Amino acid sequence: MTTAVREGAPPSYVLNGALPGALAGIAGGLVFGAALASLDGLPAVAALVRSDLAWVGFALHLAIAILVGALFGLLVVHQRIRSSELLFWGLAYGMFWWFLGTLTLLPLLSGQPMTWSLKTAQAELPSLLGHLYYGAVTAVAFVLLRRDGHAAVRDHLRPSTLLRGLLAAAMVGGLLVLAFGVGAGARLGWLPVVAVCMGIGYPLVFTGQAEGTGPALIRGAAYGFVWWVVVSLTLPQLVDGDRLDWSQPTVAAATTRLPPYLLAGAGIAAVFGWLGGLARNLFVDDVRLLHHATGTRGLRVLAYGALSGLLGGIVFGFVWGTVDVLPTVARLVGARGAVAGWVVHLVIAQIIGVSYALLFRGRSYDLASGLGWGLSYGFFWWVFGALTLLPVLLGQPPRWNATAIATAFPGLIGHLAYGAGLGAAFAWLEHRENPWWVARSDTEAVRATARRDQILGSAPALWILTAQIALTVPVLVARP
Amino acid sequence: MRLQEYGPTASGGRAALLFGVGSGLASGLAFGALMSWQGLLESHGTRSWAAFALYGAITGSLLGAVVGRRPYGPAVSAAGGLLLGLLGWVVWWLTVDPLLHGDAPSWSIAAATAAQPQLVGSLLQGTLAGTLFHLLTVRLGVREPADAKRRTPSARVVIVGGGFGGVSAARRFERLNVRGHRFAVTLISDSNFLLFTPMLAEVASGGLEAQHISAPVRAAVPHTRFRHGRVTAIDVAGRTVRLGDEVVPYDHLVLAVGSVPHFLDLPGMAEHAFTLKSLADAARLRDRVLSLLERADQETDAAERARLLTFVVAGGGFAGTEAVAELYDLTHDVLHFYPGIDPDEPRFILIHSGKGILPELSQSLGGYALRKLEARGIAFRLGVRASAATEREVRLNDGTSIPTATFVWTAGNRPSPLLKDLPGERGRGGSVVVDATLRAFELDGVWAIGDCAQIPDADGNPYPPTAQHAMREGKAVADNIAAVVRKRRPKPFRFTTIGIFVALGHRTAAGEIRGRPFSGLTAWLMWRGIYLAKLPGIERRVRVLLDWGLDLVFPRDIVVTTAPADAPVPAQETR
Repeated sequence: MTTAVREGAPPSYVLNGALPGALAGIAGGLVFGAALASLDGLPAVAALVRSDLAWVGFALHLAIAILVGALFGLLVVHQRIRSSELLFWGLAYGMFWWFLGTLTLLPLLSGQPMTWSLKTAQAELPSLLGHLYYGAVTAVAFVLLRRDGHAAVRDHLRPSTLLRGLLAAAMVGGLLVLAFGVGAGARLGWLPVVAVCMGIGYPLVFTGQAEGTGPALIRGAAYGFVWWVVVSLTLPQLVDGDRLDWSQPTVAAATTRLPPYLLAGAGIAAVFGWLGGLARNLFVDDVRLLHHATGTRGLRVLAYGALSGLLGGIVFGFVWGTVDVLPTVARLVGARGAVAGWVVHLVIAQIIGVSYALLFRGRSYDLASGLGWGLSYGFFWWVFGALTLLPVLLGQPPRWNATAIATAFPGLIGHLAYGAGLGAAFAWLEHRENPWWVARSDTEAVRATARRDQILGSAPALWILTAQIALTVPVLVARP
Repeated sequence: MRLQEYGPTASGGRAALLFGVGSGLASGLAFGALMSWQGLLESHGTRSWAAFALYGAITGSLLGAVVGRRPYGPAVSAAGGLLLGLLGWVVWWLTVDPLLHGDAPSWSIAAATAAQPQLVGSLLQGTLAGTLFHLLTVRLGVREPADAKRRTPSARVVIVGGGFGGVSAARRFERLNVRGHRFAVTLISDSNFLLFTPMLAEVASGGLEAQHISAPVRAAVPHTRFRHGRVTAIDVAGRTVRLGDEVVPYDHLVLAVGSVPHFLDLPGMAEHAFTLKSLADAARLRDRVLSLLERADQETDAAERARLLTFVVAGGGFAGTEAVAELYDLTHDVLHFYPGIDPDEPRFILIHSGKGILPELSQSLGGYALRKLEARGIAFRLGVRASAATEREVRLNDGTSIPTATFVWTAGNRPSPLLKDLPGERGRGGSVVVDATLRAFELDGVWAIGDCAQIPDADGNPYPPTAQHAMREGKAVADNIAAVVRKRRPKPFRFTTIGIFVALGHRTAAGEIRGRPFSGLTAWLMWRGIYLAKLPGIERRVRVLLDWGLDLVFPRDIVVTTAPADAPVPAQETR
C-alpha cells in the first residue's frame, strides 16, 4: 500500500542522496567549523589524528562533516523525506551526532576515556550547539540542492503565508507583552520584537499542509528552541564582535529566555495554523482542499482523553508525591494537603488529557507515534504548566532561570511520564474505536497512506528533537 | 472489503516481538560491553554488561510491541527506539535501579546527573535497537505473504438492514477486526441513515427537524462496506443475496430488516391510513395536519370542518399514544395562526382494542397516561378495532364510524416482506424464529435480530422489539458469528430491559426503569435526557438540543413542505 502514494522511479541513493548530502555537509561543516574556530575547538578534533594543529582539525572536521552529510542524504532518500520537512530532521540528526560523535566516538577514537558524564557533556556544550547549526545548515543546503527544494522554498514564501506568519507573531507577541512587558529589562527581553522575525520565518519550516493545533504546538516549541539558540546564544556575541561563548555558565544564564522562546514558538505555530484554517474556510473556493478531520469524534474522544489523562496523571502523581509538590498543587484552588493535591492534580491531568485528545486525535499511527506525541506534549506542558502557569497562578514569578529549572527537573520527569502514559493510552483507545488507517478500498488506502506519510513525514524528527532537548536540560542548567 | 492496514492492537505477532527482543538484546550487549569496558557500569557489579543487555532486551520487546506491524522506515523506527530509550532511562535507571539499591527514587537533577552515562547509553542503545528492528523486520519479516494471508477474510458477513440491530452488529464487527479478526462485512440497507425512531413522533409534530434524528450509516460504521440498495431475494442454499442485478455472496447472513406496517388486509387501510415508521411518514403526517388546518380555516360547512379537524389514531401502544399526543400538541401550538378555527373544534381520538392503553407499561402507568390525555381532551375508544377506512371516515368493528380526514395506523407491524419467501421456521407475524444464540432454525449461516426476529428469552418468551434490545442483539450476533468462525460455541443472548418511557406531549411522560415507575415532568425530563444521550453522535445531540431550546422561544413552523394532497381550495370569506 505504501507504494501507492510513494510511487515513481526510485531515486538514486548516490546522485540524489549521498552526493547532495556530502555537498550540504560541506556547508554545514563550514558553519560548524567556523564556530569551532571561534571556540578554539579545532585542536580537539585534530587529536583524532594525534595532532593539535587547528587547520588539521578543520580539515578533519570538514571530512567528517562531508561523511555525516552524505549519511544524512542517504537517510533522506531512503525515508523519502520531503524538502519542507527537512529542517527538523537536520536538527535532530545533528543533535544525535553530538551524543554519538562528540560524547562517544571522539573520545574512543582519540584514545580518551569515554565518560558520558555530566561534566563531560557540559564541557562539550559548545559542540552541541555547533552540531545543531551543522544539522540545520546541512538540511537547508540539502533542500536548496534538491530539484524540488527551490520550489518548496518559493511555495512557503508566498506573501499571503508571510502575512499569516506576521499576523500570528503580532498576536502572540502582543499577548506576551500584555503578560510580561517588553524591553531589555523586562522578563522577556526583546522576545516580542524577535517574535516578528519568528513569525515571518515560520512559513519556512511549516510543511504547507494543515496539520492541526497539537502537532503545530510541538513544531512551534522546537522552532522556538532554534530561535533561542540563534538569538540568545549566538547573534549578540557576533554583533558585539566577540568570540563565541557557548560555555555552560553562559548557556545556563541564557536559559532565563528559553521557556518564553519555546512558548512563543508554540504560540506562533498554533495561531499560524488557526489563521490558515480560517483563511481556507473563508477564501478557498475549492472545497476539496478543505481539511476533514479523522480520528475519534464526539463525546467519546473527550472520555478517552480524560481516561488517558487519568492514567498518565496517576503515574505522574507518584513522582510529584515523592518530591512533595502535591501540596503546592492543592494551593491552586486554595486547598491544603497531599490528598487535595492529588485531587487537583488528577483533575488537571484529565483536562490536559482531554486537550490532548482534541488536539492529537487521528495523529497516532501506532503506539510508538502515540508515545512520541505524548512525550512531546508532556514536555510542552512542563514548560507551559510547571515553569510558567503554576507559579504565576500561585502569585510567584515564572520559573524561568537555571536554578528554578533545575529544581523543577522532577516535574520534567513527571511530565514526560505523564505524556508517555497519556499518548500511549489514548492511541490504544483510539485504535480500538476508530482505526483510521484501515482501508476498505485502494482509493481509501491511498488517502490513508497519504495521511500517514504526512504524519510521519516530520513528526519523528520533532519527537526526537523534543526528547533530546528534554534530555539535555541537566546539561544546560545543572551546576558544574 | 479488503482491509489493508493493521494497528498495534492487532498485534504484530510473535515475529515482531522476537525481532524487538533480538534488536534490544544485540544493541544492549554492544553498549553494555562498551560501557563496561569504559567503566561506566562499575556500580552495577561484574556482570553489568549482562544487566544492560537484559535491559536492552526488555525495552526491545516493548519496541516490538509498540511499533506497528509495518515499520515506516529506519528513521521512524530509530526514533521509536530513541523514545523508548528515554523512557527506559526514566523507568529503569531513575526509578527501578535506585529501588533495587534500597534508595527511594528522587528524580532530581542530582539523580539525573549521576545517571547521565546511563542516559547517553540508553539513548544510543535505543536508537540502535530501533534501527536493527527495522532491518530485521524488513529483511527477515515475511511481509508480503503474511499480508496476503491477512487480506483473505476469515468470513464474509452480509448484514441486511441499517437499523439499530444492523448498525450495532456492523460496529461490533469493526471492533472485532481491530482485535485481529478478518471479517469482510457488507451492510446493505435501503436507507442510508440510522433512524432514531423514539423521536419520530416529535418530527411528525414539527418539534424536531427530520434530519436531526437520523445519522448516516457510513459515519456510524466507517470501516464497513456499505451498500445502499434493497435486497430483493435471499438464496439460503447458495448463500447469496440479490441486490438489484448483483448477487452478493455471504458466509454468514445477519437479517436485521426490521418491520413494516401491517394492515391485516383490512379494506381501505393501505390506501388511506397514515403510518409512522419512517421520516417520510412523519413529514407526510405533519404536512397533512397543517394542510387540513389551512383548509378547515376556510371551510364553511360545519360537518366538513369537523371531519377535517378530527384526527384518529389506531393503536394504543407506544407509537399510537405518542402520535396522538404529539398531534394534539402540534395542532394546539399552531392554532393561533388560524383565527377561523375555534380551539375546541379539533378532535383527537385514539382507538385501541384493549381495555387500557400502553400494555408495555404497568397498569397504573397506563391508567395515568389515559387520564392525562383524556384531561386534555383526547378521546379514547377502547375495546374496539378499526375495521375499514375510506377517504372520508374510519369504520370500527362495533358498527360505528368516525368521519375523519386523518387516520394514523400504528396497530400492527410485521417483518419486512423480504422474509416472505425465506424457508425455515416462522414465528408471530412471520418473524424469523431463532434460537437463544440468534441463529435461525433450519437455515445454515443465517442469523436474525431486531424486530424481524423472534428471540426467546430465558423463559422462552420472545424479547420485545425495542431499540435497546436490537442494539444488544447486534453485538451478540457479531460475537456469536466470531465464535462460530473460530469453532467455538456461541453464547445465548440474555438481556433484561433497562427501562422504557413514553412521551405524552406537553412536558409529560410515563415510564419505568428496572420496574420503578416515573411519571409527569420528572419522567419527561428523564425521557428527554435518556433519549438525547442515546442519539447517535454528539452532532445530532446538539442539533436536537437546539431544536428543543428554540421550541421554547419560537412557535412551531407551519410551512407545508410537500405538495397538497388535494386541489387548493379557493379563498372564501372568513366567517
